[in-house]
Amino acid sequence: MHKLIETNGLTYYYRKGTKDEVKALDSVNMAVYKGEMLSITGQNGSGKSTLARHFNALLKPGQGSILIKGLSTANKDSIPEIRKIIGMVFQNPDNQLVSSIVEEDIAFGPENLGLPQAEIIDRVDWALETLNLEDLRREPPHNLSEGQKQQVAIAGVLAMKPECIVLDEPTAHLDPRGRREVLESAIRLNREEGITIVLLTHFMSEVVHCDRMLVMEGGAVKMDGSPEKVFRQSAEIKSAGLDFPVASQVAEGLRREGFKIKPDIVRTEELIDCLCQLKS
Amino acid sequence: MELTKNITLGVYLPGKSSIHNLDPRTKIITATIMIVLLLISRSYAAFALSALFTGFLITLSGVPAGYAMRGLKPMLPVLAIMWVFQLFLFKAPDTTVYFHWWIFEATAAGLHMGNLIILRVLFLFTVTTFLTLTTSVVSLTDGLENLLKPLRAIGIPSQELVMTLVIALRFVLILAEELEKIIKAQMARGVAFDRGNFIQKTRKIFPVFLPLFIGAFKRAEELIVAMDARSYTGGKGRTKMKTLHMGRVDLGAAAVMIVYGGMLIYIIISTEPMI
Repeated sequence: MHKLIETNGLTYYYRKGTKDEVKALDSVNMAVYKGEMLSITGQNGSGKSTLARHFNALLKPGQGSILIKGLSTANKDSIPEIRKIIGMVFQNPDNQLVSSIVEEDIAFGPENLGLPQAEIIDRVDWALETLNLEDLRREPPHNLSEGQKQQVAIAGVLAMKPECIVLDEPTAHLDPRGRREVLESAIRLNREEGITIVLLTHFMSEVVHCDRMLVMEGGAVKMDGSPEKVFRQSAEIKSAGLDFPVASQVAEGLRREGFKIKPDIVRTEELIDCLCQLKS
Repeated sequence: MELTKNITLGVYLPGKSSIHNLDPRTKIITATIMIVLLLISRSYAAFALSALFTGFLITLSGVPAGYAMRGLKPMLPVLAIMWVFQLFLFKAPDTTVYFHWWIFEATAAGLHMGNLIILRVLFLFTVTTFLTLTTSVVSLTDGLENLLKPLRAIGIPSQELVMTLVIALRFVLILAEELEKIIKAQMARGVAFDRGNFIQKTRKIFPVFLPLFIGAFKRAEELIVAMDARSYTGGKGRTKMKTLHMGRVDLGAAAVMIVYGGMLIYIIISTEPMI
């Protein structure tokens, strides 16, 4: 598969050269493949946010390198191009919306790209439609729920037509409903629009919907693989301080009680299917 | 402690009146002319005409008058203090002295000066609030950006300044909400904001503003990163989704302003100033 993002020995220090120096990334080698939905998980301070900020050149590598479609973020001239390829959505929607009107905020990115007026209008309409926000287009953000605000933030990035959207804990501030809606949007953008998604999250219920997951610990990638494969390694999951998805916990409990449940169940839907087959 | 309810400056009430439909540039220029005229008005007659005209505009816009004035409430104590200061401390030769105590004198000149300042503040507030109530922040800033564009030629970064304003206005409500949260959190931990004398009350305000400022800086930092990620590099090379158009209603507004301005200037010249 085609590599969209590739890091090589990527190392990053906060406050380098002072006595408070912290090694946030420790020779990370990883890749994001075009078209996949990847989740990066790990405890606070595991380095996932720092890694994500390298993806669109918000941070420059201390050592090692990162290439976005072959462009190095260390090269200043390629940064505008990189930011066109990689869009980024942050945790707190209030702190990333610029304008007091939804559609104007969505237009902010395309306006920055210097696109012609007709193109901006087309893109804003398309982004609003894709995320089902048409009814909110004239609303001020403060009238919206947190979940809706985050959808607007995603639409604002989507309107820049990136190949990849990086979502940095987009659901951390949201209620369950907002969380579900944001996750559904991310899945839809990946499946229907073919946009590569990198989802940073603490919620295993979100991780299991991704094609692949990375587990980070102490600034390094500790595990890499499909959720089924990663959650098989229970000892490592526990040492990384992560939970198991509800479905695999229930499946494990049932197995212990002697029920015949097939291995590698991580998604609730799979568990339901499996239980239904048990009954018959 | 409902702070957000009282903030009317920077709030927009959508509507379909002819005032709402004016080009934002027309409204900004009109408001500027009104303010300049108010600043040179020194007679009660001039203020009376301004009051009539402002009332006419508010009626025309369909904005509830009470709503337009609500934001004044928290300012009233300050205004009262200003009025008292002017009354007792403004010095002028040859004026009637109403009341004398120690070094304080309440004079006719002071009274008029106090009135003049209060009237000016009231009108300044009303005109600017009225502008923001009938103009969305976005079209306001679009208009401003458009009007200030020529300043770029002399090296003033007008687009960046307007962007700063856009963001400031968006964050007014967010920060007010945050302030409310901080106050409530401190009340929950036993701070009684409504008890004590003036100094004690004032002292309780500091621990409220410190977290507010820290929070604001944090937000600003996050916003910068988010804007950076969305390819913002300043005003250069930006395009706009919306362009502005002046229409017949703007022509009408210009005619109304010429009549009003002419009348007011005539009154200002011909009537006796209050001070």
